[in-house]
Amino acid sequence: MFDLAYQTIVAIIGGTAILASFGVILCASPIYSALYLISNMICLALLFLLYNAEFIAAVQIIVYAGAVMILFLFIIALLGAKKEEKTSSWEKPAAFTFIPVLFGELLMALTMDEGRPVQGRFTEEFIANVGSAQAVGLELFSRHLIPFELASILLLAATVGVICLAKFPAKVGGRRVK
Amino acid sequence: MIDTVTQFLSDNVGLIVGAVKAAVIAVALLSSVPILVWLERRLMGRFQVRLGPNRVGPFGLGQPFADAVKLLFKESIIQGSADKFLFFLAPAVVVFTAIVTFSAIPFGASFTLFGQEIGPHVANINVGLLFVFAISSMGIYGIVLAGLASNNKYSLMGGLRSSAQMISYELTLGLAALGVIIVSGSLNLVEIVEDQSVVPNIILQPLAFILFFTAGIAETNRAPFDLPEAEQELVAGFHTEYTGMKFAMFFMGEYVNMITMSAMVTVLFLGGWNAYIFEFMVPPVIGPIIVFASKVFILLCVFIWLRSTFPRIRYDRLMTFGWKVLLPLAVLNLMVSGFIKVVL
Repeated sequence: MFDLAYQTIVAIIGGTAILASFGVILCASPIYSALYLISNMICLALLFLLYNAEFIAAVQIIVYAGAVMILFLFIIALLGAKKEEKTSSWEKPAAFTFIPVLFGELLMALTMDEGRPVQGRFTEEFIANVGSAQAVGLELFSRHLIPFELASILLLAATVGVICLAKFPAKVGGRRVK
Repeated sequence: MIDTVTQFLSDNVGLIVGAVKAAVIAVALLSSVPILVWLERRLMGRFQVRLGPNRVGPFGLGQPFADAVKLLFKESIIQGSADKFLFFLAPAVVVFTAIVTFSAIPFGASFTLFGQEIGPHVANINVGLLFVFAISSMGIYGIVLAGLASNNKYSLMGGLRSSAQMISYELTLGLAALGVIIVSGSLNLVEIVEDQSVVPNIILQPLAFILFFTAGIAETNRAPFDLPEAEQELVAGFHTEYTGMKFAMFFMGEYVNMITMSAMVTVLFLGGWNAYIFEFMVPPVIGPIIVFASKVFILLCVFIWLRSTFPRIRYDRLMTFGWKVLLPLAVLNLMVSGFIKVVL
């Protein structure tokens, strides 16, 4: 099934996402870089929406565009938004070699075989029946319950660690260092 | 030519109905802002034993028009050290997100018009509740960007404060709404309202209602939580540098957010357009919308009442209140409702 209007919208949003990601790395000002990253995330959410994954789209916006990027802007505001100076280093040519490698891999994956959808117990009819939010919830809290809980404990440990590092002075060699 | 046009129109009825609904709702929202400002000033006057605006027209009703004309014709001053693009972007983001958030809210039972079933909402989204939270969380960017772009200490502090406040209270807002989701088992706002046709959620989830409304006031930056614009410390907070219509856009965003928040409380807790014991008085088609609007109106009056009653609370107390009182209560409410749902 090839719907021209639909494919055009997908292509436009995908192209905008790519342009925005270029903006992230090419912009000198950190505020604009962060804004480009936000627009990139919004584009990704729109792509999810176009593929009928409205729950993932909403979560993408709430978590990444809404929460994570606000903290980025926060840090930029607190540290002062100075423009980056251009410096030449060995990382740049190394990065340029990655581009053909990545695109070559993509091309290989495209030419190897026709793409196949992943077969699972969540068929299109099932998701249309219960809704994508319920499908994600069912999968997360039944089959992947233990990894889910482990991940939450990991995040909790990280939060406690951050509070310990920030609030209490670290002991170096048995001495309190301020 | 005409044939192709009519063919196109009949093929895309849904699209056209959606566009018309979006335009009507956006215009209605924006034009209710001056009326709300007038209502607030009149009511505040009564609460504080004075008259309020009463010179321009009957009951001072001409005042909003006079204010709008003044704001439109004011000189737009942009200070030289400001980041021009972000300075213009910030108020646009605030108004855009405020209006788009409302698009997911259903404000009446669906009815049939010219053989078309029309639901009084721009979009009936499967994850409507999450959509509202997602878009309203984007509104914070407007305030942060206004603070960053103004290149002014007070603006920056106001922007940072308000974003910290909104992020903190968003958690409570979401957790309180989760209690409702547990009761009705859906993220769809229309289904949540239809689920309350017998008992409104305020009776099933009283604690969640109080938490949601409190956090909602903080989320819309209204008094007593209007720290971002604490005049004594921060001049006018994030919009210190804004003049004329750009300043008015922040104002508009705040009032539209107020309406949206009241509408969300109505949908989630007060049973939307269900009239309960007054059901026999409700006329068809227009009736449910009137019921919904009157519930929203009462909540807006409560917003104004709270503003004229409580003094602004201190910033550290605000954060402590959010994180140490509201958030644990919201988690408790969530656990209890989850327990009740599983056991019963």
